[in-house]
Amino acid sequence: MDFIVAGFVKAIELLISGDNSTWTAVWATLKVSTCSMLLSVGAGLPCGFLIGYFDFKGKKHLRTILDTLLALPTVFIGLAVYAFISYQGPLGELGLLFTLTGIAIGQTILAFPIVTAITASIIENIDQDLKLTLVSLGAGKRNIIATCLWEVRFGILTAAVTAYGRVLTEVGISMMVGGNIKYSTRTITTAIALETNKGQFADGIALGVVLITIAFIVNLSLSFLRRQ
Amino acid sequence: MNRKQFFSGIIAIFFVMLMAISVQADSKSLMMATTTSTDNTGLLDYLIPHFEKETGIALKWTSTGTGKALKLGQNCDVDVLLVHAPPAEKKYIASGYGKDRREVMYNDFVIIGPAMDPAGIKGKGISEAFNMIKGKKGIFISRGDDSGTNKKEKLLWKNAGIQLPDKEKWYVQTGQGMLASINVAEERKGYTMTDRGTYIKYNSQKGGNAPLKVLVEGDAILLNQYSVLTLDPKNCPKAKYELALKFSDWMASKNAQDLIKDFRLLGKELFIPNAK
Amino acid sequence: MAINSIIFNLKKIRHFYGDKKVLEIDDLEIEKGSITGLIGPNGSGKSTLLKLLAFAEQPTFGKIFYKGQKGLPFSHLVRSKVTLLTQKPYLLKRTVFDNIVYGLKIRKDTAELEKKVKKALENVGLDYALFSQRKWHELSGGEAQRVAMAARLILKPEVLLLDEPTASVDTESAKLIRKASLKAREKWGTTLVVASHDLQWLYSITDKQLSLFEGHIFSAGMENIITGPFENMDSNNSESKGVKKVIKKLSDGQIIILTAPHNKENKAVIRKSNILLNLEKSKDNNFTNQLSGHISSLLLEKKQSNIIATIIVNDFSFVLTLSADQISSLSLYPGKDVVIEFDHNDVEWV
Repeated sequence: MDFIVAGFVKAIELLISGDNSTWTAVWATLKVSTCSMLLSVGAGLPCGFLIGYFDFKGKKHLRTILDTLLALPTVFIGLAVYAFISYQGPLGELGLLFTLTGIAIGQTILAFPIVTAITASIIENIDQDLKLTLVSLGAGKRNIIATCLWEVRFGILTAAVTAYGRVLTEVGISMMVGGNIKYSTRTITTAIALETNKGQFADGIALGVVLITIAFIVNLSLSFLRRQ
Repeated sequence: MNRKQFFSGIIAIFFVMLMAISVQADSKSLMMATTTSTDNTGLLDYLIPHFEKETGIALKWTSTGTGKALKLGQNCDVDVLLVHAPPAEKKYIASGYGKDRREVMYNDFVIIGPAMDPAGIKGKGISEAFNMIKGKKGIFISRGDDSGTNKKEKLLWKNAGIQLPDKEKWYVQTGQGMLASINVAEERKGYTMTDRGTYIKYNSQKGGNAPLKVLVEGDAILLNQYSVLTLDPKNCPKAKYELALKFSDWMASKNAQDLIKDFRLLGKELFIPNAK
Repeated sequence: MAINSIIFNLKKIRHFYGDKKVLEIDDLEIEKGSITGLIGPNGSGKSTLLKLLAFAEQPTFGKIFYKGQKGLPFSHLVRSKVTLLTQKPYLLKRTVFDNIVYGLKIRKDTAELEKKVKKALENVGLDYALFSQRKWHELSGGEAQRVAMAARLILKPEVLLLDEPTASVDTESAKLIRKASLKAREKWGTTLVVASHDLQWLYSITDKQLSLFEGHIFSAGMENIITGPFENMDSNNSESKGVKKVIKKLSDGQIIILTAPHNKENKAVIRKSNILLNLEKSKDNNFTNQLSGHISSLLLEKKQSNIIATIIVNDFSFVLTLSADQISSLSLYPGKDVVIEFDHNDVEWV
């Protein structure tokens, strides 16, 4: 139990002292999770919209598959991505293994179903009167899509925040694809795993506190957007 | 907030991030796979900067289980290996994945157990000790995760003439790492086999007076030999063979060997250099 | 009637939601510049019909012609020309100003926006300075509906469809909305189609009323509908020679006798013109059916100053058109007990 308290103390120490390995891990985490969050939102929004807005054959099946993808374990995704970008794999020439870019790809795959499923649900639950109103005011098909998305912007923000939370805290992909290389692909989560494995629980807690602080700051700034 | 400004801002951040994570390949850099137990000792953090300073080669390493490290080499995802599983390594070279094998240092495994030692194994040879544990049905904790350490432990049972007590109630398989398994042993007041490095850490955590003590040590078979393996260019033409050789040579150099000897884990000596 | 004056022409409409048929209209014409009322209980298809007229949905089967041409959703023919005001006030999540100019911006009509918005708000009784920057959630239901109305009127639509425009709002807003719709017709010749439960208002402004019941339209004169279950009349009864009849038993003991339908139709329609109103039952059995009930309302109709009388007989409402003279000669007033009479043969089955 003492290591939890020691951890909090250590967390403040690490942050204030500007400890190099901590701050490079923090920066790596921010870079990679922001990138994958933006990519997954960029791809997931239109897909989610299409699935939610239109009725088509096999829609229910597609939704079921999508919801199943939400439960993909990160180690599984990590393994699959490794298979592709390893030297032996089809994308081996790109040299993506053990890089932050590789991690970002894996995390995007992780977050994409989240954004898509949430967006689809939001779109499906849009008030019927919205479409009627837009048609009445002379909106064309493109206007409707754009305005619908803007009307549900708070819900979409939620999707983005959820995706961000998921990628910020995952270990499986970062570990498998990134390799936890110090000063290079070590993220906060893989650093926590490492410290815990080494038995340095206090350090693990410290890094965890750092992670939560980041998540808190991100959510705080996003809540300002909500007030708009 | 103006909508156009908002979206432009998002896109700007995105591109900055994308640039930031693009990696430039170093001309003189080496990628190594090693094991978690090696990395966890902190030896590499201490040793590698010296290598980089002396040779100008940047060395990055990733640590995983022994099996995966070998696999990474086989798949040509890394350039050089530092592992400690001699039988597997020799097979590796025979299979054409590894080219040169150079022994560089060793540490050892020990058997630890409760101070009161119910099976009475203190000071005995390893085979005798194992037979006594089996006889008295003393609780034995195994990692059971097919790691290098685990493979060593299985070898010890075989060496003692005992079939692996896989299904026995007194043989507990945790499927976890070394430290976690030691903690289980402490809870269950049982015996376990650990590398000395992890024991040092565990003991230090307990303020130097851990409930589990070193009971059996010193047998030749308990030695844990570390070697540097280069990858066979025939299997991995893109692997940086010349640089890997340089690393292998350096690890055997007097400077490196002295550094290894001087390395202390929590004040205790851990590795013994033995490059020829 | 010149083709030019017909703005809507519906032909053989059969509209389904999934497997359920919700609207069946063989032929319907709406004149340009007219005010048409839609009457009917909830679920009768009024909202669906309005949605189709708004070209928000395409009918599952059948065609709707707008100004003589085939009308399709999003086509230039109808975009911005046909507007619908929803029953519950609905605004986009933005300021009042942005809500009102939305339609104008879409058709790139962005000259003098402030002036136009000011005028539009005035028309619905809202002050520009006070309201234009308010957000969608800072308005009462009535204010929101007024803003929604303003957003549509600013487009000077050719057709204004109103779905219960006064149902969800306060009296003041209702008044202003009614006024604004009529003003649109006056100024721009906008055709109005209004669905409303406010019969008093509806009868006072509309040129024509359409009754909807279970997806069918019954034009003026055919609003009296008797629904089942019906029982077959006992064939041993000496009175029923030759012609098959059915009986509807009312819970107060009265019986309605009607000629049986040919097929599986289950709704009986009695035309207004076939119903006679009396104060007492007559002894000479001219009509098969003499039912006791009472007057529930007397409403003034716009045209020809007729009175629409609603008579309640047990669970059913019967609607009759009477002249002012008839009312006074019979001394009718709401609550008075009366008898309605009609023959079993004067039934149309639907």
